[in-house]
Amino acid sequence: MRNLPLTDPGTPDHSSPGRFLWWMARGQARTLAGGMAFGIVWMGAQAVMPAVLGRAIDRGVAARDGDQLLLWAAVMLGLGLVQAGSGIMRHRFAVTNWLVAAYRTVQLVGRQAVHLGGTLPRKVSTGEVVAIGTSDLSHLGQVMDVSARFSGAVVSFFLVSVILLSTSVPLGLVVLVGVPLMMLLIGPLLRPLNRRSAHQRQLMGDLANSATDIVSGLRVLRGIGGEQVFLDRYRRQSQTTRQAGVRVARVQSVLDALQVFLPGFFVVLVVWLGARAAAAGSLTAGELVAFYGYAAFLVIPLRTVTEFANKFIRARVSARRVCTVLALRPDHTDPAAPAPSPPPGAELRDARSGLRVRPGRLVAVACDRPDESALLADRLGMAAAELDDEVTLGGVPLTALRRAEVRRRVVVSDTGSALFSGRLGDGLDLSGRGEQAVREALATASAEDVLEALPEGLDTEVAERGRSFSGGQRQRLVLARVLAADPEVLVLVEPTSAIDAHTEARIAARFRRHRVARPDRSTVVVTTSPLLLDAADEVVLLDGGEVCASGTHAELLETCPAYRAVVTREVAEAVG
Amino acid sequence: MSAPTTLPVARGRAVGRYAVAVARRHPRLLVGVLVLHALAAVAALAAPRLLGELVEAVEGGTTAGHVDRVVLLLAGFLLLQTVLTRYARLVGQVLGEEVLAELREDFVDHALALPIGTVEAAGSGDLLTRTSRDVEQLGWSVRWALPEWTTAVITATLTLGAAISVGWWVALPCLLALPPLVVGLRWYLARAKDGYLRESATYSRINATLTETVEGARTVEALGLADERVRRIDDDCRDSFEAERYTLSLRTRFFPSMEISYLLPTVATLLLGGWLYAEGRVGLGEVTAATLYVQMLIDPVDRMVAILDELQMGAASLARLLGVAQVPEDRVAGDARPADERLEADTVRFSYVPDRPVLHDVSLDVGVGERIAMVGPSGAGKSTLGRLLAGIHPPDSGSVTVGGVPLTALPLDDLRGHVALVTQEHHVFVGTLRENLALAVPTGRVATDADVLAALDAVDALEWALALPAGLDTEVGSGGVALTPPQAQQLALARLVLADPHTLVLDEATSLIDPRAARHLERSLAAVLEGRTVVAIAHRLFSAHDADRVAVVEEGRITELGSHDELVAAGGSYAALWDSWHGRD
Repeated sequence: MRNLPLTDPGTPDHSSPGRFLWWMARGQARTLAGGMAFGIVWMGAQAVMPAVLGRAIDRGVAARDGDQLLLWAAVMLGLGLVQAGSGIMRHRFAVTNWLVAAYRTVQLVGRQAVHLGGTLPRKVSTGEVVAIGTSDLSHLGQVMDVSARFSGAVVSFFLVSVILLSTSVPLGLVVLVGVPLMMLLIGPLLRPLNRRSAHQRQLMGDLANSATDIVSGLRVLRGIGGEQVFLDRYRRQSQTTRQAGVRVARVQSVLDALQVFLPGFFVVLVVWLGARAAAAGSLTAGELVAFYGYAAFLVIPLRTVTEFANKFIRARVSARRVCTVLALRPDHTDPAAPAPSPPPGAELRDARSGLRVRPGRLVAVACDRPDESALLADRLGMAAAELDDEVTLGGVPLTALRRAEVRRRVVVSDTGSALFSGRLGDGLDLSGRGEQAVREALATASAEDVLEALPEGLDTEVAERGRSFSGGQRQRLVLARVLAADPEVLVLVEPTSAIDAHTEARIAARFRRHRVARPDRSTVVVTTSPLLLDAADEVVLLDGGEVCASGTHAELLETCPAYRAVVTREVAEAVG
Repeated sequence: MSAPTTLPVARGRAVGRYAVAVARRHPRLLVGVLVLHALAAVAALAAPRLLGELVEAVEGGTTAGHVDRVVLLLAGFLLLQTVLTRYARLVGQVLGEEVLAELREDFVDHALALPIGTVEAAGSGDLLTRTSRDVEQLGWSVRWALPEWTTAVITATLTLGAAISVGWWVALPCLLALPPLVVGLRWYLARAKDGYLRESATYSRINATLTETVEGARTVEALGLADERVRRIDDDCRDSFEAERYTLSLRTRFFPSMEISYLLPTVATLLLGGWLYAEGRVGLGEVTAATLYVQMLIDPVDRMVAILDELQMGAASLARLLGVAQVPEDRVAGDARPADERLEADTVRFSYVPDRPVLHDVSLDVGVGERIAMVGPSGAGKSTLGRLLAGIHPPDSGSVTVGGVPLTALPLDDLRGHVALVTQEHHVFVGTLRENLALAVPTGRVATDADVLAALDAVDALEWALALPAGLDTEVGSGGVALTPPQAQQLALARLVLADPHTLVLDEATSLIDPRAARHLERSLAAVLEGRTVVAIAHRLFSAHDADRVAVVEEGRITELGSHDELVAAGGSYAALWDSWHGRD
């Protein structure tokens, strides 16, 4: 068994779903071939088992020949062992094939997601990409998995055909034409079943969502006393789902019964023809038993063929979705000839708004319209959808620099910043500056209490998207994370919007010590919080995308009525 | 916060008792399923017998007429088996769906009654696993595994019976299979459950990592986390591979040993039958029938064995679902009814974890119609006090009463007519917009469309609500139309209008809102607060400024209490904050 996952998932051919599947299959050609080989041996062994049993009865039992009986019993035992051995080997290869395809899909999509970065949410719904991780990976895995049994099915079908035709041409033809016909007969029944099952699955999914709602909504429900109404609604939904299940059962049970009847009918037919031939003396008793066995066996390979067809169709649909994601290109690419990076301690300027951020300074941007200030923050960090040459670092337009270089020197942390799962200490120490730097940053963000409440401190495993923390805790951790990264230019958007005034005041005071008074570090804070504005060296008021006033918080409060309106607008009655 | 204590898990005996109780509730369906399956299996067993007879007839020379008669009989039994199978399956699935519905409804009933403190101590992940994975696993077990297994057991038992009815000697070769079967199964089942649980957990993690990478793609780029995320995805795949490799190694040993234990009886039957036939003690037909019966045993026994680990996992899920019912309730409703709407906390102490008190002897009187703002640093106990004032938790000592009656002695429905709590969580439930709002309507009262529309109008949300694709009937929440956070918050406020409580506790109700929507929301909120008693836990001082009284909470105590002007004049910690807010040092 090879070691998984692959170190490098490779460069896929995503020009069409078919080509993508072919590219995947080529990449695991050796294990696919292994699975197929054992699949053929395994099903072949099952296929000839009835023949061996027939011989044993004819030559051993009926002829009362002890040596022959022993010989054929030994052959049966040997064949059984071959079947067991090849069966497990086939299974091992099939699992490997499943895993290679599934992991590779996850790796490819994950790498593509980080490659696209901020472009991703603009080009495709995140749900689409997430669905790849929940369902598409297993569809792609299954088609690789079933390939081993599929080839066994095809080969064993022909093997049995040859044996049958060589024993009796008419009986052989009945079996060879009849069995596929029988499978086709079941087909029309599958359509209403699929329809009803799809409806049932939909209802089951909705029901599961409602149940999951309890977890996220329990506090909300308890707050307003909605438990009983919720329960009544859940009960109704649950009963609708039950009725849908019963409707499925009505069709499903007919299908189950047909799965008994059709092969059974066929066996009866074969036995009848065989027994008549045997009565006429053209078939031996053992051959009759063997024919019975073949007719029963052939259902298995045919079912496998149907299974393969279904899984292949689903895999193509999944491959199409994966291809769509893999074909996306990021909005911004590196310039062909990147300009040399300006020396550290460069000034960040935006010609469009007139904003200047000198090294060593803390500049606050206040704005009545948060969209405007958010766009400015995005442009400063080259994270906006449209690029322009107006933002410069040390006189060099950001667009002339490598994307990675801009990210290294200018970091934007906005209200949508996400926390990721993993060890807390690692998640906070992005640039590897060590635990001391992290602790200092946590202190600045006034997040010591968050850390103290965790029994394992920095070793705590953060839950997915940091959802075990409250909104205020998450915001402080996000702030600590960028502070610990200590970038040359830091752009923060409303970093304290979910934090209480006491804590905010503490952060504002410590923040100056952390960032300011270091000649090579500059900071921009987009905020309307008076506590943060008061901590800045310089406050600018943004109006219509341009700086219309600047000064200190106190100066502007005094002299600029528009600023006063923005900052004190919050008096607008939250209470009373 | 301490190390998470998980919710209880029911013991094996409790699970067994529950299963018996469920069976007793559906005697007719249950007996019907068993009888139908047994009859279907008996009908199926006619085939080898008749085939054996044919073989013997052929061997001894027979006529076409005899062959036709036997084959007609064969066809008759097949038809019988088909019809019986159909009804056995149908009744089985109807029963399964009924049991499943009962189970999940019971579970949701108990989950809704869980004390919040218990859920939080266990971490929401525990309850989430139970509501999603365990309910799904149990559904799979009840819909598929249990009926298949029952059928397999019945078929195997009857097939064995039929084989032995051919001649007692057939039992001997079958016994050969028992020792390897029992040993193999015990070995496998002791390891399989944990192995598969671990395996499925690794897939949840792959999924979670991919989801947060995709959803946080912007952050990944901004902070240069690309390599770290890729490494984590690869690590998750590696963990998953380790788990897969383990279960595969279990199967690599288990499957072949099972196959060999199936093989032995078939070969032995043939040999023993052949010898007995040579001795002239049995007929050729009996040998054929016996061999076919023993071969026929393989399929049901294999299914029985293969499904056992599914059933084992189903039982484990059931135990976790039933465990939720074992959490003691944190409130007992009494008969006393409040005399008025005066809310009073008297020397209240509270701790989430023993020996870590969050509130120390806090007392607070809230007058009818009064507006109190609660301020203080994070972790000082503001939210906890708010929850106690809203009757979410009972105090450890002291009392929180409305009109003289402890909040936790009121039935939940009644309680919410007096006090409601709104937090920064603005959860949109799966369902229509109307259903989302109707949640807040006390049972026994019906909300008309006019009420719902009026509530939306009161919070200034009518315009966007009517603009939704299907108006009030639009599906919202996970999977439906996504509401923006401010819309979700307005929804929460509209619920309050419908719930119509006398007193509101607002725990930073608008704090997580994007500032660009805050002003709009504040207007909506003002409409809701009209004419009610309000306790507001504020994160920005502006809300404190206009309150009747301000309570400063620090380290689990109310350290300052008075009007804004009084507190500013007193020069305490509130005054210091107020100054810095105004740019004065």
